[in-house]
Amino acid sequence: MSVIEIRGLRKSYRVYQKKEGLLASFSGLFRREYREVNAVKGIDLSVEKGEFVAFLGPNGAGKTTTLKLLSGVITPTSGEAKVLGYVPWERDNDYRRRFALVMGQKNQLWWDLPAQESFQLHQKIYRIDPAAFKQTKDELVDLLGVAKLLGQPVRELSLGERMKMELIAALLHSPEVLFLDEPTIGLDVVAQHNIQKFLKHYQQVRGITILLTSHYMKDIAALCKRVVIIAGGEIVHDGSLEGVIDRFSDYKILTVDFADDRMPSDLARFGEIREIAPPRAKIEVERSQIANVLTNVLANYSILDVSVEDPPLEEVIASLFALTEKQQNESKESNIAAAAANVAAAGKN
Amino acid sequence: MHRPNYLAVFWMFARNSLIRDMTFRTNYIIDVIFGLCWALMNLGFYTLVYRLMYADGDGAADIAGWSQYEFFVFIATTILVNSFVEGFFMANAEELSELTRTGGLDFALLKPIDTQFLVSLQRINWSAIPKLLLALALLAYSIPRIEGLTLHPIQFILYPLYIVMGTLILYSVMIGLAATSIWLGRNQSLYDFWFYITNFSRYPMEIYEGSFGSPLRFVFTYLIPILVVINVPAATLAKPLSDTNWPLAGFAVVATVGSLAISRWIFQRALMSYRSASS
Repeated sequence: MSVIEIRGLRKSYRVYQKKEGLLASFSGLFRREYREVNAVKGIDLSVEKGEFVAFLGPNGAGKTTTLKLLSGVITPTSGEAKVLGYVPWERDNDYRRRFALVMGQKNQLWWDLPAQESFQLHQKIYRIDPAAFKQTKDELVDLLGVAKLLGQPVRELSLGERMKMELIAALLHSPEVLFLDEPTIGLDVVAQHNIQKFLKHYQQVRGITILLTSHYMKDIAALCKRVVIIAGGEIVHDGSLEGVIDRFSDYKILTVDFADDRMPSDLARFGEIREIAPPRAKIEVERSQIANVLTNVLANYSILDVSVEDPPLEEVIASLFALTEKQQNESKESNIAAAAANVAAAGKN
Repeated sequence: MHRPNYLAVFWMFARNSLIRDMTFRTNYIIDVIFGLCWALMNLGFYTLVYRLMYADGDGAADIAGWSQYEFFVFIATTILVNSFVEGFFMANAEELSELTRTGGLDFALLKPIDTQFLVSLQRINWSAIPKLLLALALLAYSIPRIEGLTLHPIQFILYPLYIVMGTLILYSVMIGLAATSIWLGRNQSLYDFWFYITNFSRYPMEIYEGSFGSPLRFVFTYLIPILVVINVPAATLAKPLSDTNWPLAGFAVVATVGSLAISRWIFQRALMSYRSASS
């Protein structure tokens, strides 16, 4: 049985549209205009035990909303979800004892106290056996290398150090399911790397199920085999990270190092030229043409080195996001156009 | 086994709050001084009022049937209940609208423990203790000076009991009002309303008379039962036990249970409509 089962999950908010200016604010006291925001528009997903799944998507795509729904922090507008067999928004204590949510932009530790005091509070709230608590805490502290910082007030920790403490607090009760919402946001490369390394190790050792959202492609590439891309509240891809490239990009990048600085002038016939820095040229070549082009180039020019690569993942995903957004806007417009046409038709009748 | 040990968690809250208060020593001392000043000014004001009445009248001054030392017991009761509300709940209720606005309530909702308990008690305000001691001292000073009062042992049991009930009624009104901030996104003003209405509880209920007073008395006894908060425990201690006191004392029990139940219902409903905030 799947650990996480989601069917037709929807969440929409009614948001007050405030107009600009003081006068408009006054009129807003009496008559308000609301806009329906569909944060999550019917998601289906199932995740098996021990999977490490990444949610990828632009800002406002519905990633965090989905995690909050699965944590039971908010209730959905419609649809179903079960995590470990529980309906999250029923907020059953038995469920809450078995998962954890870490949010990179929020902090749950007592700000003015050393992290160890918050840990002890967690021990009491989750009723963790004292021996098990000590063992888990020591293990986590050791893995993350924060032993010296335990006695320092949280407000005096750096962002990276604080994030490590947040992770420890969330893992003390040994959750079976872990939701991570941008755990590396704002961290420097070293801190990011440390957290990645820790998560990878911990997940492998414990075999827990993790759902991660992140904007950093590196996080995802390092940690997750399965990537779920969400855009505009819908899932647009569910599969491997490499699959994203195969599916959404139809070109490769051919890099050629010529034997001398005299570059041929007719390179444009092979594809779009990305970059020319003699003696090197980078050309975007259609995937289906790559074999032809390669033969052609090797036969006609004197070449030192040649390589064929996939386009950078960031680029593919950025264009994918842009495409989805455009499609969604178009479908919105076509809906409006259809509605307008209906109204016009009704007017004629 | 798996139910959280609420007492142990509460103890942890109290302990962590104390550690925190000790970190901000100056802040703590200022809190204590202002708290005591408020209590002493109250006391001083009524001492003045009684002085004036003594000067005017025939030597038997009273406010709505409360002689000076009886009224001091009333004031001590006010300070006592106030110190409990401040010590346990006030900082938390204030924090609730902030938690709602910033989305910090998310974390409270994740914990395998009653959310209302967590949100209501996580900050214990130790600076309320000197106020509590002042109230006890005032009681010890005033009670022997009340003419013709001999205390029955049952009064020693009932008084603390009614103090607790009064505290719980004020808490219920407070958390009920604060919970509306979850519903409305943020509404500090509704919580401020608590300070306006609880003002009415600080006077003997006998003063609410006549065409203006009687409706007020009805509303604040039966609809929002804040008049019983101070009046019942104060009367239990300072006035001789009498048949006329019992119905109100009985009602206070009902009012406490009712207030807690209603405020819990409001809180739970509010949690269902929690929207969280942008990450």
